[in-house]
Amino acid sequence: MNHAKYSLAAGVFLGIFALASVPHAAQQKQASALSDKSSAQRVTFNRDIAPVVYRYCAPCHRPGEAAPFSLLTYQDTRKFADQIAFITEKRIMPPWLPSSGEPKLSGELRLTGEQIALFREWVKQGAPQGYPADLPPAPHFTPGWQLGPPDAILHAQKPYALPAQGTDNYWNFIFRTNFPETRWIRAIEIRPGEKRVVHHANMFVDRLHSSRDQEQHPGDGFPGMELRIESESFDPDSHFFFWKPGSIPHEEPEGMAFRLDPGDDLVLNVHLQPSGKPETVQPTIGLYFTDHPATKFPFLLELQNDRALDIPPNDADFEVNDDFTLPTEVQLLAIYPHAHYIGRELSATVTYPDGTLKNLIHIPHWDLNWQAVYYYEDPLVLPAGTRISMHYIYDNSTANIANPFHPPQRIKGGNRTTDEMAHLWLQVLPHGDALPPDQARLLLQEAMARHDVTRDPADFSAQYNLAAVLQAKGDSPEALQHFQAAVQLRPNDAIANNAFGAVLLALGNPAEATAPLLRAVQSKPDYAAAHYNLGNAYASQGNFSPAIAEFAEAARLNPQDSMSEANLGAAFAEAGNLDEAQKHLERALQLDPQNTLASNNLDEVKRRRASPQ
Amino acid sequence: MRGTSLLLACVLLAITFPASPQSATKSPLDLEGRPADPFRLAGSKLVVFLFLRTDCPISNRYAPTIQDLSNRYSEHASFFLVYPIASEIPEQIRKHLQDYGYHLPALRDPDLVLARESHVSITPEAAVFSPDKKLLYHGRIDDWYVDFGRARREPTTHELTAALDNAIAHKPVSTTDAPAVGCFIPGLT
Repeated sequence: MNHAKYSLAAGVFLGIFALASVPHAAQQKQASALSDKSSAQRVTFNRDIAPVVYRYCAPCHRPGEAAPFSLLTYQDTRKFADQIAFITEKRIMPPWLPSSGEPKLSGELRLTGEQIALFREWVKQGAPQGYPADLPPAPHFTPGWQLGPPDAILHAQKPYALPAQGTDNYWNFIFRTNFPETRWIRAIEIRPGEKRVVHHANMFVDRLHSSRDQEQHPGDGFPGMELRIESESFDPDSHFFFWKPGSIPHEEPEGMAFRLDPGDDLVLNVHLQPSGKPETVQPTIGLYFTDHPATKFPFLLELQNDRALDIPPNDADFEVNDDFTLPTEVQLLAIYPHAHYIGRELSATVTYPDGTLKNLIHIPHWDLNWQAVYYYEDPLVLPAGTRISMHYIYDNSTANIANPFHPPQRIKGGNRTTDEMAHLWLQVLPHGDALPPDQARLLLQEAMARHDVTRDPADFSAQYNLAAVLQAKGDSPEALQHFQAAVQLRPNDAIANNAFGAVLLALGNPAEATAPLLRAVQSKPDYAAAHYNLGNAYASQGNFSPAIAEFAEAARLNPQDSMSEANLGAAFAEAGNLDEAQKHLERALQLDPQNTLASNNLDEVKRRRASPQ
Repeated sequence: MRGTSLLLACVLLAITFPASPQSATKSPLDLEGRPADPFRLAGSKLVVFLFLRTDCPISNRYAPTIQDLSNRYSEHASFFLVYPIASEIPEQIRKHLQDYGYHLPALRDPDLVLARESHVSITPEAAVFSPDKKLLYHGRIDDWYVDFGRARREPTTHELTAALDNAIAHKPVSTTDAPAVGCFIPGLT
C-alpha cells in the first residue's frame, strides 16, 4: 500500500521534471543524429578509446593504486564515460601541469587535442564497445615492487592517523638506517601506504639527524609542510626522491648512485588529503644497492625568492623573480618548481651567453596538489655564463580558489601551509672539459652561495653555506667572516657554532674557539664532532683534564671513530696517565689500523713506559 | 450473486497490483531490497536526500560534513543517503556506511526515481523536500569544490544549510545557480 501511495506522488514530480531544462537529453539527441550521418567516423572503445585509457589512465586507475576507480575494461570505462569526456576536455585529467613544447619532459601525461575529441565523440555516439578484434592487449603492470625485490626494505616505525576531515595534512616520517657500511643506492622506491590519500611524497637524506628533535618520541614522526635538513657540509651528491601517483621509481644513471652512510636518516615528507574516513598511513621504502660507487655527482641549484613574497590581499598578479648565472658548464637533468597554494603561473627560462632565450618549464595553471619533479628526456647542456631565470606569478584574490584565506589576507614567505614559497630546484651535473668535476662543483657551490648571501645577508643558511664552501676551498679567513655572520644570526645553532669554532681552531686560535664550541655542545649535547673539536681546543691550550672529558664523550657518542680514541689516548698521555693512554691508542688502531697519529703516539707511549724518566 | 463475485474479484485485483514485482512504477529500495518510502519515515519533517556513490572521492570527502549536518538538523529534517548507481549492491553500501562513519538510513535508487524527482545529476548533490513532497532545493551542499580536483581550503558559502534554515523558518528557499561538483550519475538521459 505504501508503494502505491508513493508512486502517485512520483507522478506529480514528473510534471516538475518536464519543465526543467535537461541538457543531457538534448545533447544525446544531437549526438545520435551525428552518428547516423557519419558511421565511418564511428568511435569505439576497443579501437580508439582503449589505447588512450590503457596508457594514460590505467597506471593509476587500477586496484591498489592512487586513483578512486579502475579503468581497465570497457565496463569500467563506460560507467565513467561522461565524466572522462568532461574532465579530459578541461585538462583536469590526466594530471600534468607543464604546457607542451621543448624541451621534452619524460613521462609526459598530456593528451592531444585529438585524443580529447575522441572521448567526446565516443560519448556522443553512446560509448560503443566495438569489435573484439580491435581491442589491444590489456596493459601489463608489474605487481609489487616496480624494480623487483629491493635489497633493503624500511618501514615507518609508527603509522600516522589521518583524520576523516579537515584541510590538507603534511606528515614527516624518519627512517633510521643502520647499515654496517656505506651503501651506494641506485634507486629508491617509495610506497607511501594508503595511496588514495597521499598526494605526493618527497624524501630527504638527513645525515646529521637534524630532524629527530622534532619528534615528540623517537619514531613518532612530526608535522610540517617544509623540512629544514641541516648538514655540516655540501653533500657531494644531490638527488631528488619524489613520489606522485602513478610514478615509477627513478633509477639513477650509471655512475650516479647516491651515498648512504651508516646511521643516516631518510626523512619522508608526505602530503595527505583527508578522504572522508579515518585512514592510517605507514609508508615503506625499498632501497636498491649497486656495487659501483658514484663517479658523477649531481648538484642541486636552488633559485628562490621567498623574501620578495609579501603579497597584498586581492593582488591577482604578484610577480617574483630570481636569476642565477652559471659559472661553469652544466648538464641540466631535472627540474622541480615549487610554490604553495596561491601560486598561479610558474615558469623558468635560460638565457644563453649569446642572448638566446629558451624555455625550461612553463606551468600555466599551478596546482600544488599535482606538483612534481620533472626529468628531461635529454639532458640540456647549459654553457658557462648562461642565466637561469625563475618567474612566478601569484594570485591572492578570491578568484584563486586555492587561496587559504577568505577573505584574502596579506601572505608572506614561509614554511607553513598558509605561507607562500617561490622555489625552483634544478639538478645539474658539471659538464665539459674546461675544469675537473670537483673544481666545477666548488665553483657552482660558491656562486650559488654568493648569490644567496647577496640576495639576503640576513639569511642564516646562505651565510653558513658560503662559509662552508670557502672553507672547503681553503679560504679560511673569508670563511671565518661568514661563519661569524651565521652565528650572529643564530647564536645557539649547534652546527654553525661548531663550524665557527673549527675554523678558529684551524687558524690557530683555540682560545677564541672554546666559546662557540661550548655553545655547540650545550645546544646539542649528543654532537660528537663538537665534543671532539672542543677537546682539541682545550688540549691546544694545555687543559688536558677537560680535553679528556670531551674526547671521551666524543668516543662514547661515536664509538667507531678512530680519531676520538686517538686524541683521547694522546690527552691521557699528556696528562701522564700512560695506562689509559695505551688502552685508547690501541683501541684507535683497532678501529683504523691506518691511523698514523695513533700508531706514532702509541710507539711514544710504549717508549716512555719502557724508560720512565 | 454473479454480480457480487465479480465485484470481489475486482477489489482483489486492486489490492494485489501494487505489490507485484512487475509494477510499472519504480521505487527506491532499502538495503533489504524492499520498496522504501522516505516521506512516510520522515513524518512531518523535511526530507533531505544526499546522493552518493561509493567510489566517488568527492562525495566520500563530504561524509563527515553530511553526518554533522544530519545531526544538527535532526529535529527538523530526516536525512537519507541515496545511492543511485544500480550496480552498487547492498553489501557494498553497508561497508561504505561503516567505513565512512554514517549513521543514516540508506536507500538504493537503481531506477533513478529519486534522482529524477530531485533533479540531481551529480554525487554529492542534495535535495530538500517539504513533508508534502514539494521540492524546495536541489544542488550543491556548499562551495567547497569548484571543479573536479579543485577544492577550496574550506567552503565559503553553505547552500544546503541556507535552504534548510529557510525551509524551517517557512521562508522562501532560493535555489542556487551554481552546479554541484562531483561524479556524474550515469543513466539520467
